[in-house]
Amino acid sequence: MTRCDDAERGSPGAAGAAVFAADEEVGRDLAGVDWRKTPLGPPDGWPQSLRTAVSILLSSRFPMWMAWGPELTFFCNAAYRRDTLGQKYPWALGRPADEVWAEIWDDIGPRIGTVLATGEATWDEALLLFLERAGYPEETYHTFSYSPLRDDDGAVVGMLCVVSEDTERVIGERRMATLRDLGSDPSVVRTEQEMLAFACRQLGRNRHDLPFTLTYLFDDDGRARLAGTTGIPAGHPAAPADLAFDDPDGVWPAAALARGESVLVSLGGARFTGLPSGNWPEPPAQAVVVPLLQQGSAPYGFLVAALNRYRPLDRGYQGFIELAAGHVAAGIASARSYQAQQRRAEELAELDRAKTVFFSNISHEFRTPLTLIMGPVQELRSRLRDADAQVHEELEIVHRNGLRLGKLVNTLLDFSRIEAGRMQARYEPVDLAAVTAELASVFRSAIDKAGLAFEVDCPPLAEPAYIDRNMWEKVVLNLLSNALKFTFDGSIGVRLRHRDGHAVVTVADTGIGVPADELPRLFERFHRIESARSRSNEGSGIGLALVKELVGLHGGTITADSVEGKGTTFTIRLPLGSGHLPADGLVPTGAAEPGSATADPFVEEALRWLPADGTAPRETAALGVSATASSPAPDGGAPARVLIADDNADMRDYLARLLRQSYQVTLVNDGQAALEAVRADPPDLLVSDVMMPRLDGLQLVAALRADPRTAGVPVLLLSARAGQEASIEGLEAGADDYLVKPFSAAELLARVRANIELARMRNHHARWRSAMIESLQEAFFVADESGAVVEINAAFADILGYGPEGLPYTPLHPWWPDEAEDPQAHAMVGEAFAQLVSEGRGSCVIPVTHRDGHQVWVAVTFNDVTDPDTGRRRVVGTMRDVTAEHYLVQRESALAALSMRISQAGSLSDTLSGALEELRDVWHARRVLAVLWQEDAERPVLTVPGSAGLRWQDLPEDLRERITELRGHPPLRPLADEAGGAGITLEHPGGLLAVWIDLDQMRPFTAEDQTLLALLTGRLGQGLHRAHQLDQQREAAVALQRAILGPSRLPDGFAVRYEPATRPLEVGGDWYDIVPLSGDRIAVVVGDCVGRGLEAAAVMGQLRSACRALLLQDAGPAQVLGALDRFAALVPGAKCTTVFCGVLDTATGELVYSSAGHPPGILAHPDGTTLLLEGGRSTPLAVRPGHPRPEAECTMPARSTLLLYTDGLVERRRRPLTAGIDQAGAAVQDGRSTPIEDLATHVMTRLAPDSGFNDDVALVLYRQPAPLEVAFPAESGQLAPVRTALRDWLSRCELNPSMIQNVLVAAGEACANAIEHGHRHAPGHMIRLRAVATARDLRLTVADTGRWKPPQPEANPHRGRGVALMRALMHHVTIEPGAAGTTVDMHARITR
Amino acid sequence: MNTPLTLVTSERSDGRPVLAVTGEIDMSNAGTLDAALARSADDSTLVVDLSAVDYLDSAGLTVLFAHAPRIRLIANPLLVPVLTISGLADVTVVEETSGDGRTGGGAVS
Repeated sequence: MTRCDDAERGSPGAAGAAVFAADEEVGRDLAGVDWRKTPLGPPDGWPQSLRTAVSILLSSRFPMWMAWGPELTFFCNAAYRRDTLGQKYPWALGRPADEVWAEIWDDIGPRIGTVLATGEATWDEALLLFLERAGYPEETYHTFSYSPLRDDDGAVVGMLCVVSEDTERVIGERRMATLRDLGSDPSVVRTEQEMLAFACRQLGRNRHDLPFTLTYLFDDDGRARLAGTTGIPAGHPAAPADLAFDDPDGVWPAAALARGESVLVSLGGARFTGLPSGNWPEPPAQAVVVPLLQQGSAPYGFLVAALNRYRPLDRGYQGFIELAAGHVAAGIASARSYQAQQRRAEELAELDRAKTVFFSNISHEFRTPLTLIMGPVQELRSRLRDADAQVHEELEIVHRNGLRLGKLVNTLLDFSRIEAGRMQARYEPVDLAAVTAELASVFRSAIDKAGLAFEVDCPPLAEPAYIDRNMWEKVVLNLLSNALKFTFDGSIGVRLRHRDGHAVVTVADTGIGVPADELPRLFERFHRIESARSRSNEGSGIGLALVKELVGLHGGTITADSVEGKGTTFTIRLPLGSGHLPADGLVPTGAAEPGSATADPFVEEALRWLPADGTAPRETAALGVSATASSPAPDGGAPARVLIADDNADMRDYLARLLRQSYQVTLVNDGQAALEAVRADPPDLLVSDVMMPRLDGLQLVAALRADPRTAGVPVLLLSARAGQEASIEGLEAGADDYLVKPFSAAELLARVRANIELARMRNHHARWRSAMIESLQEAFFVADESGAVVEINAAFADILGYGPEGLPYTPLHPWWPDEAEDPQAHAMVGEAFAQLVSEGRGSCVIPVTHRDGHQVWVAVTFNDVTDPDTGRRRVVGTMRDVTAEHYLVQRESALAALSMRISQAGSLSDTLSGALEELRDVWHARRVLAVLWQEDAERPVLTVPGSAGLRWQDLPEDLRERITELRGHPPLRPLADEAGGAGITLEHPGGLLAVWIDLDQMRPFTAEDQTLLALLTGRLGQGLHRAHQLDQQREAAVALQRAILGPSRLPDGFAVRYEPATRPLEVGGDWYDIVPLSGDRIAVVVGDCVGRGLEAAAVMGQLRSACRALLLQDAGPAQVLGALDRFAALVPGAKCTTVFCGVLDTATGELVYSSAGHPPGILAHPDGTTLLLEGGRSTPLAVRPGHPRPEAECTMPARSTLLLYTDGLVERRRRPLTAGIDQAGAAVQDGRSTPIEDLATHVMTRLAPDSGFNDDVALVLYRQPAPLEVAFPAESGQLAPVRTALRDWLSRCELNPSMIQNVLVAAGEACANAIEHGHRHAPGHMIRLRAVATARDLRLTVADTGRWKPPQPEANPHRGRGVALMRALMHHVTIEPGAAGTTVDMHARITR
Repeated sequence: MNTPLTLVTSERSDGRPVLAVTGEIDMSNAGTLDAALARSADDSTLVVDLSAVDYLDSAGLTVLFAHAPRIRLIANPLLVPVLTISGLADVTVVEETSGDGRTGGGAVS
């Protein structure tokens, strides 16, 4: 199409713009048109009719266009632009209409002409128009009306078109129709061919959307075969008959389609020339090729769909093609599955026919040899009637089984005859009652023998019934045989009744019944109810099916009703008369051949199911009883024992006869009996049939293998089911060998011999093995995967008291310690057991309980092995009684541990509590207590580790009594208590000591325990006496040391520490001393003698005493040291002692000091600066006796802290002394606001090396001023003097006046309160005020003996006011009322 | 023994009565102050001069609160915090001396 450039459009005519105001966008573009170039001229010159028409057009939201004037100038609105005009906008505006719609002018021009000529409107519905609005001719459908437009004079000068586009609807309906038709009637489609033809017919009907299609189906050989076409002639190059997958030049991309991908193919090139165009003028330009998808598998093929070139390939189009392909694929799927089903059905029918023919033939073939066997046998029976018993017996077997085989063959033959429609029935009128009763009576003996009641109730009918006697015999005999086979108690009944023109015969039993879900299949051929209990598992599953057929031949019906466990009733309804029978089958009475010996085989067979009675003595001897006639085994030992299980008595007898020659034979007639017999007495070999009632051969083998006692019994299975699967099934079940019937006697004997010898060999090994195990001295056991002990030897029984008679011992084994009584032992065994089960190997020593109840310690070693017979995991272990060793070790280790504890203990009480802890651990006791009766004490003293506060009187009454009883008992004789405890007494330095072990659980305190307790307490006694002696020595030494160390009571404001380098001495060469002098003066001394330990301590003691004496004589520090110089020269070892001696005036803080070679004191100011007291220094003592010593002075500012120390505090290897001094200074400085006692701890901790001080350390701390401590009686008159003292102390702390005033008022309030309480409760009682200052903190404590009053402003307004004042004036106030009095603690921060 | 307290009643140049207190006021002598204040009770406002009082606790404050509507106070800077914290300064006029006992400076409220 053509478009114009924007430049061609004229500039907007301002005057005409108002015409276009109804729509902003289109209006703007219309205004942009250069109307002067059109016949209409500028808009401002347009007639009113045109203006109105344009205005209506623009304001409508319905798609409209109009043409006006001689050239039919084009206008349109926004809706038309959107739906129809497409890319022609805005070019089309103002153009002649025949130019705008040139491509469809042939269609619309005449219509417009008509409108203009006649002034009548046109109406077109869904008119196909090829619009070129999107760059290509597009198939579109429009419904529109052209109506005339008239000018102001009423002349038709233009037309208005109102249009709605129907493209989507029209195309959608068209596609929908195709899809609907595709799925219209799949049921009529049978073959793939028909289906494809149908689909192609439907696809071919839509040449609009599908100009042509090709359907290809994949072959198995990697090619795609053309299976259908529409709209394209056969043989066209674009439609090759087949395509190779791997051909890259193939017309269609078959390989991609085979992978399930869709492909868009452009239809260009030579091979696509001359393509059919479908319903369109031009052939398609593109085709979509989509796979014919198959669920869960590779696609069936693909569909080539040529595309309508007049429509875009949008989602709707793509979806349509995919849906169409989906229909085709679904059709193929159903056609193919239908074909497959049909084929299967035909195959089955063919198989069935072949089988019938086969049976028919084979039955015939059997009858001939059978006749030839049975004839001579019959003859032999009569001829050899007097021959020996064995010959006779064997002949009987041949005869019986010949009859049985004959019966089976006849039944099969009957069937094939019926099947082939060749059964010739001969219906004769008979007295059905008589016939039926007679047949029933044949079974009477067998039923009687089975111990069942037999009720025959056949009253004569009024009219004869037409039956084929042979067939009727088979019907009745089969039903009776069936009844007998499945009935073990109760009765069998046969009834005949006349009802509604029918003879109704019922055969009812009280047998096992038929499960409801099996009833519908009861009359199916070869259907046998699995696992039904029956007298015999023999049977072909054909009897009832035959009965049904035979009854059917009589025009009758047979039904079965059954209740499982109650019985089954078969009901036959035969129509009376002969109208329902074919006329050519009717014969007169007696014309049919009489009932032959049909009954014999049935009865004979039935009799063989039943247990033999006196009439068959040979079976009594055989069944379940060891046959007497047996010959010894070849190796001269006892003959091997063989157990035979078979439900067929003949087979049983045959096997017995064969094997009895060499083995001791026992016979049973089903699997369950065999299982019981094996369990009772395992034979050397079990020969078992596979098909048996109750428990079949495979189940029997499985049951035997599952039980360790019978797992080793060799089993030879016999079965009539030939084939490899059957024998594999048997061997998989665990049979040792498998023999298929029929088998020769020689083969059986060979197999039996081989199996027995193999087993004997194995047994020989087993006997040797058990003899060896029995001979072991150690206990031996074998456990299975679950941990159950399955084998043990005699030593095992000796150690634990549990013998082989109780095997297997399943966990928890009876020798496990009782969990409630001894949980620890139980847990130990549990742990060992878990290891045994999970890991299979290990060794451990565990306590177990002997059958008689005593505890045995055993060392167990175990290992896992694989049982070579079964392949299962087994754990084999040995066990040794180590009880004696265990107790020895226990005693030794307990004694060693106790000795260790005692040797480590530093005192008598440590020794006792340590030993008690040890005893507690040895017995895992709840607690152990010691009770000491001291001679002069009122109550005994209790020691319980872990319960420090517990007292004798806190113990329960009964325990106190039990312990008290011990007092009368001789020492070191344990006394076990039944209620779970044991006690013993021993000599303690302080009196008689009783030790009580509280076992908590009901655990027995054995003889071994008692021995151990006596041993340990004996050792404890020795330890206690030794500790007592040590204690006495130490007490003396400590008293002495304390005497020579510093003063026991320090003046306020001081804190001291002393740490001797040598333990356990509490003294060394270092010392400190604080000596109150006259007035406010206090002397402070810190000294350090050379050496350590006791020797240095002795020197120190002398120097300290001398120093103190000198100070008390009011000597100054230099004088004191000078005198000490002389004294030290006389005392050996005193030379070179360093001493710091100072005299402090606590009122002024003035310190006079002198140092004899001692490290400098440290003074920490409250402002954070530090001063070293390095003045007044001279040599250590006695180095230059007589030489005058210097003296220095300094003043401790208020709230400063002084540290004096010995070099042990600061001296470290490989570090200058100054570093240590700096460290000490920093520590004091950091703690300058810490209470002095805490500061001492802080300094010691901070300076202590990780390994502890390795030299003596002495330390003195003092903070100026010393705390104020005032005690005064609770009288208001005391307030002023206390205030004066406090004011004085506060000014010594150098606080500013306002803070002093605040503290005074707060303290005054606290004191006033205390006085009030004092007055109330105890007049004249004392009140204590204590004030302590640190560098930055002030703490006041006022303590009284009264009870503090909570603020109650109403009752006592000024007291409430007092507390408020305290809180306002101090930083922190706590009031702690206590029983003994109230303490007010106040805290204020000191600001600079 | 009560804490010593001196109470001197005089008249200012404008004829207003003045009660000059010297010493420390605590629970032992607050009663004496109370009695003196009660004695001088008449219609005119009484000036209580506390510039020579070094100590005043809640007992004294309670007495002053009782008479607050009809007294004016003169106090040295040391006492001012207590008078302020207790709230007495809110209910009566307090004049602060320069600290040497003589009246000076402005009223503290």
